[in-house]
Amino acid sequence: MYLAINDLTVLYDRAMVLNGVSLNVAEGELVSLVGPNGAGKSTLLRAAAGLVSWEKETLKGTTSGKITLTGSVIFEGNEMLDLPAHKIAQRGLILCPERGRPFREMTVMENLEAGAYLLKKDGKAAINEALDKVFSLFPVLKNRRNQVSGTLSGGERTMLSIARSLMSKAKLLLIDEPSVGLAPMVKKELFARISEVHGLGITILLIEQDISFAFELASRNYVLSRGKIIAEGKSEELLNDEIIRETYLGM
Amino acid sequence: MIYHLRWMWQWILGEVFSRPGRLIAMLFFLTLFILPVFTTTPSTLRFLILAAIYAIFAASWDLLAVTGQVSLGQALFFGSAGYTAALINIHFGFPIWVTVPLGGLSAVFIGLIAGMPALRLRGFYLALVTLAFPVIFTGIIFIFPEFFGGEMGLIGIDRISKNRVIVYYTVVLVMMVSGFIMWKLSDASSKIIRTGIIFHAIREDEIAARLAGINTIRYKLLAYAISAFFAGIAGGLYIHFMRIAGPSSLTVFFSFQVLLWAIFGGKGTIYGAIAGVYILFPMTEYIMIYEWGENFRHIIMSLILIFTLLFMPEGISVWILDKLGIICRRCKVVNFANRKNCRACRAPLHLENQK
Repeated sequence: MYLAINDLTVLYDRAMVLNGVSLNVAEGELVSLVGPNGAGKSTLLRAAAGLVSWEKETLKGTTSGKITLTGSVIFEGNEMLDLPAHKIAQRGLILCPERGRPFREMTVMENLEAGAYLLKKDGKAAINEALDKVFSLFPVLKNRRNQVSGTLSGGERTMLSIARSLMSKAKLLLIDEPSVGLAPMVKKELFARISEVHGLGITILLIEQDISFAFELASRNYVLSRGKIIAEGKSEELLNDEIIRETYLGM
Repeated sequence: MIYHLRWMWQWILGEVFSRPGRLIAMLFFLTLFILPVFTTTPSTLRFLILAAIYAIFAASWDLLAVTGQVSLGQALFFGSAGYTAALINIHFGFPIWVTVPLGGLSAVFIGLIAGMPALRLRGFYLALVTLAFPVIFTGIIFIFPEFFGGEMGLIGIDRISKNRVIVYYTVVLVMMVSGFIMWKLSDASSKIIRTGIIFHAIREDEIAARLAGINTIRYKLLAYAISAFFAGIAGGLYIHFMRIAGPSSLTVFFSFQVLLWAIFGGKGTIYGAIAGVYILFPMTEYIMIYEWGENFRHIIMSLILIFTLLFMPEGISVWILDKLGIICRRCKVVNFANRKNCRACRAPLHLENQK
């Protein structure tokens, strides 16, 4: 398996956010992870990207909480949970955080250059090549390359975030709720772009609230609820399952 | 030959005279260089030399601010490097061009130790920890009075030079070079040196920087080391100029003074910190001439800081540059504000005036 998450458990103090989650993604797949608010979707991605263990470090010695993190995240045969976040990113497992989190006071171009940190060793040509690739995927960013990213619209910000991840040799992209707060037309455009990114041969694990879009795109889906995977399967199978549809997908 | 001269002139016209920031910087440095021709009175030179030293110091604080780390104990690097340089100079008799860089390196060492809390702490908590370091160092100085000179400080340090004008040029040159290096290192739009963009990214969002594969710990420590080195250079020059290394260069007030200069000038820009020193420091010195100056100095400085934060929150240098220059909306080239069209792409600059 390309990415295998086994028995991942995360506790914030005594609140169990993830309760032994196991899932796997094969190379080249686009898998979606859906579920209601507070199911632990974001935590799952944050744990895989090394942010939970980092948070755990910073909370050490304080009274503001304790994080327990067990299980394993195996990417390309290597354990990721012991690695710091930047090392995980260097392996090509890259998280696009919720709401994009661009560097707000920097321009679009500077954002992309900061994202190209890992290409630094490969020289200028590699960076330019990556820039060309990203700009052909997201022409809107090319038009706005000198604009301060804090003034971008929500959809552009998400695109910038995905573009920034692509600048750093992403092999597996974890995208956390790209469509949150976007108008339907913008959503449609964004998902078309995500599917193009997938077409480049990049494996994607996508969290999404908007199930209609997610299920259309993904070849397989996981349904997460209260920290547990409660269903897995192809889109049609899940939609045909009456109980899952009504209880967890709200459709 | 003539061709080259003309080419250079064209280059200066295009690259310097058309950009307000560069024009001001060039005029500023030219003034600094020509000044000793007009006046060489000891008092004038004295405060110009001190201003240059403080400018390095303020810029070094600013470099840390670029990465979003506020240091309230920058005097630690200044003072400890001063003591190191003084001790090396007194005991081994090394000349100034050895002691000052060594002082800088010792400050790097201390800076790396002081930077350790920065790996886990952020913002307010980090600032509080940095506040403690100079106090600790002052304590060490008073524990070993024979070695560090105690309250009186170390005396018998070599002069930079017997000639005041040479001293002046040395210090101004060091200031220019280190200012330029720090500015380049922290400039996000630099195409050659990439630390600027990384520092900015860390300040904006450390988590997102990590997710882009940047080892934020390494770069935060790097910022600490560079900042400490240049603060140390300033400290070394200071003790060689004043010829005394005392605990007064480690006080909390001195740490805050540098904050005031840098914030007044423009936080996170390097040139702003230098401008801040060159505007505020002569003012303080001028006030001190009067009898009431000593008492009112702190009040006036605090008022200046409050008004700066209210009316020019980004600092005076950024404020002035914003008034003088206008950035073309289409091609992002900086133009003088009085131009109607962009000098590069001819796009109209003042859209709001055209109805």
